[in-house]
Amino acid sequence: MSRMPDREELRKVIASRGLAMTVEEAEKLSGYVDRMPTPLEFHLFDTMWSEHCSYKSSKPVLRTLPTDSPGVVIGPGEDAGVVSFCRHEGVEWDLVVAHESHNHPSQVLPVEGAATGVGGIVRDVYCMGARVTGSMDLLRFGDPEGSKGEITRGIVRGVVEGIWKYGNALGVPNMGGDTEFHPGYDDNCLVNVVAFGVVPHDRIVHSFVPEEAHKEPYVLILTGKPTDDTGFGGATFASADLDGEQGMGSVQVADPFLKRVLSEANQAVLDMLFEKGVKFGFKDLGAGGIACVTSELAAHGGLGIDVDLDAVPVSIKNLPPEVIACSETQERYGLAVPASVADDILAVYNEKFELPRLFPHCRAAVIGKFNSKPVYNVVCRGENAAETPINYITEGVVYQREESPVETKAQEPAERPCDPSSDLIKILTSVSGCSRKHIWSYYDSEVQGVTRLRPGEADSCVSVPVEGSRAGLAVSGDGNPWYGELDPFLGGAHAVGEAVRNVVATGATPMCATDCLNFGNPEDPEAFWQFKQAVAGIASACNALGFSGGNYPLPIVSGNVSFYNQSTGGKAIPPSPIVAVFGKIHDHRKATDIILRKEGNLVLLIGTRKDELGGSLFYRTCLKHRGGTVPVFRGSLEKKMADWVLGVIHDTRAYSVHDISGGGLAVAGAEMALASGKLGIEFSLDSNPVTLFSETPGYLVEVDPRFVEDVTLPEFVSVAGKVCSGCKVSGNGWSVDLGSLRGEWSDKLASIIWREEGF
Amino acid sequence: MPRAAVIRFPGSNCEFETARALKNSGVDARIYNWNDIGKLSDARADAYVLPGGFSFQDRIRAGVIAAREEIMDLVFEEAMNGKPVLGICNGAQVLLESGLVPGWKPGSVQGALAGNLAPGRSGYLSGWIHLKAGPDAIQKCPWLCAMGTDSIPAPIAHAEGRFVFREEDMGKVGGHIGLTYCGVDGSAPQGWPENPNGSVLDIAGLMNSEGNVLAMMPHPERSLHLWQVPPDTPGHWGDLRRNSSLKDLEENPGPGAVIFKSLAKHLGVE
Repeated sequence: MSRMPDREELRKVIASRGLAMTVEEAEKLSGYVDRMPTPLEFHLFDTMWSEHCSYKSSKPVLRTLPTDSPGVVIGPGEDAGVVSFCRHEGVEWDLVVAHESHNHPSQVLPVEGAATGVGGIVRDVYCMGARVTGSMDLLRFGDPEGSKGEITRGIVRGVVEGIWKYGNALGVPNMGGDTEFHPGYDDNCLVNVVAFGVVPHDRIVHSFVPEEAHKEPYVLILTGKPTDDTGFGGATFASADLDGEQGMGSVQVADPFLKRVLSEANQAVLDMLFEKGVKFGFKDLGAGGIACVTSELAAHGGLGIDVDLDAVPVSIKNLPPEVIACSETQERYGLAVPASVADDILAVYNEKFELPRLFPHCRAAVIGKFNSKPVYNVVCRGENAAETPINYITEGVVYQREESPVETKAQEPAERPCDPSSDLIKILTSVSGCSRKHIWSYYDSEVQGVTRLRPGEADSCVSVPVEGSRAGLAVSGDGNPWYGELDPFLGGAHAVGEAVRNVVATGATPMCATDCLNFGNPEDPEAFWQFKQAVAGIASACNALGFSGGNYPLPIVSGNVSFYNQSTGGKAIPPSPIVAVFGKIHDHRKATDIILRKEGNLVLLIGTRKDELGGSLFYRTCLKHRGGTVPVFRGSLEKKMADWVLGVIHDTRAYSVHDISGGGLAVAGAEMALASGKLGIEFSLDSNPVTLFSETPGYLVEVDPRFVEDVTLPEFVSVAGKVCSGCKVSGNGWSVDLGSLRGEWSDKLASIIWREEGF
Repeated sequence: MPRAAVIRFPGSNCEFETARALKNSGVDARIYNWNDIGKLSDARADAYVLPGGFSFQDRIRAGVIAAREEIMDLVFEEAMNGKPVLGICNGAQVLLESGLVPGWKPGSVQGALAGNLAPGRSGYLSGWIHLKAGPDAIQKCPWLCAMGTDSIPAPIAHAEGRFVFREEDMGKVGGHIGLTYCGVDGSAPQGWPENPNGSVLDIAGLMNSEGNVLAMMPHPERSLHLWQVPPDTPGHWGDLRRNSSLKDLEENPGPGAVIFKSLAKHLGVE
């Protein structure tokens, strides 16, 4: 072990161990340890230097995103972002938000992949000390009726099943999300997951060993599911192209039952530690398992650590040290605590919550000791399994990738025939335009008793997460792949814009955003250009849509990059920036939904319609045309519209509000009528495709007829029609009875996707 | 102030809002872990609630393992002494599996909550349905004694909520009906989704003979406040929800509050 290996030897190790690192990276590692690295060292660095963990391609680009705003408590860098949320009875409450992808596992094993997606993201929020009060899923699937329709339908059903089986059992309300279909996802679906929770400001927990560990002995406690070999190489799997069913063994197995018990046990431990007044570090185990959690807790606190793998509770005997250290067994956490309180903590997990009784081989155990020597030292069965200068582990790598623009020319259709009634019906009964109700009907959106508005009732779900406080939290996640493929910059900008509008439409003021950037192979200059464009679009929109006053942007506080979303055939997904926006409404009682209230009320149009139907539902569904000019992102107008709508809602003069996005004004109006059941809208506008179906951002707001006498409307607001009786929508020369269409609109998705199950 | 015990099994996940709902009605509530047997025994609560969730991961059958936990001996004894016991959702499954309801032979399993039957779908179903009290329930059941004869909307969220019994027992079931699914106007349900799981006799909540033990599938603890009612709810509650002032929206009870108000009334809370 003392000799430096040559390139050929390293190449052999990489091949035989299935590592993703390059020979150059392996040489760098050998230099760090000054010998042939151990298997554990190879796997540890392979994970740490994977795209998934190191952001080696994306880091320089991500630095261009705005992250600073007065409300930000913790920006990108830790497991989750934190912003200040509300003050209630003398306690400052913060909101903790996290967002990531679980794309590859969900394509290969949809149920388990989607379930562990939820499991992983909630851990990121829990480990900041927060209670998780909601989750959301942003799903992108292939064409369910296309050439790979049968596989796609199976994936959709599996993903939905994984989400409900995990999330419902965990007791975290599902706050919806969105689902889009595009043939570009035929070989690579996207499962982006968002989780959020609240924590008193003085109880935020950090993911590093505290300074006190320099003065008194600190140990590392591992708690949760006994370690097995599942998910070994998971981060590496996430950082490679997807080929058939390869990588199945890299998918972890989730256990929401254990997670639920652990979450309560963790809360009890945290309560005890805060009561004792001791400082501690807390981190979930995700990519890279024990190796990452132990090295990162130590390194980020400026210490070294001795890890004893023989002390790790395992469910399979005689696993090699690199598997124990690097497997991604779910439902585990690491705690850095003073040695003096270790026994008390073990008692909470092992006795009060009886982990060993609830799950075979499950228990909390001390597996490591922090020390001041900056070395990551791992022992297994009396042998050194790793001995590495610790700062190298977290140092990371950065690559400057090449970029090359992808030329797309806005190709408008030759003709635009339009029959408003039949076109509207076509859109509402298309897989893109129909209701997502069947998906939500599997999700528990009301556990915890904090839900104010559920999926489908308003543009975003709203909850009241701090007991006794009126502060409402609105969340929405968006990203339009049809825009992304035509113009990645606008794909990014409108992802922010639409999520902002969805939050604003409920009366909530956007506080912060998270992003998940899903793209192809970053080593492909065109894919990397798309990535850069989309990030620039997000940055530009965030800079225009800050609501904290001054010149502050809407800050991106957490996120994730997912590259290599393509089959080995080389077909990448459409550029898919997906953005979640979190808004606050001071008084949740004022929150608005999309349900029309009163016959005779006026419907205002906010945002003048423009001829920009590229990527629109109308072009795609009615004209079978995929090109065209994507709506311009008008940042300052978007901000003005949002401020105006928020004002109307806060003055309690808005009866219902719906944003205009996919399908345009006609679809927005129809959705309000469909949600209401008994009322509809008579539009008094021109019946041309631009007015009815252009997706120029905007809103519809229902107000009392007196409103227009009391208030001078700004130039971007006009009267579009009025509320009428009956579930219908009509305009000059056309009318659609939505009452009779409601069943089809509501069941369409199930009749396509769940057909194999007899729907 | 009377005291209720909310019993948390490993995998329960509605214990906090359930305790909140009890407190909100003037009954003090405390959460006990499955292994807090000594503490619970010392406490001698006035009522017991088994909350929703997935106790023991629904291993074998939903509720069956929790029903055999030692702490249930205490609940069983208290139930036999006439103390009010409520099981919500997974708690209802535990009560069936413990033989407390219908309780023809206490301690022996006499009915089951089977998998939902719904056209073209299987597994979990979340949504709002309408409920009304069974014919004798308002007189007999401490959890329903404040309920009127009108229907109320209520949220459901379960995969196994279909009450089933042996055919030879069917004649006895009628006297145990605590709650049934119904149409908005209180009429008998017109199949799915008004009866969301295919439950026999449209049963949503089942009592023991004495009426002090109630096993219900809907979640009253999630509809405690008017603001929790969906804005598209049909009928009287929907009108209230859509047309209330901000003050009423916050202060007025939701349809589920009546379950906990019933207990408070039964225990003499003013």
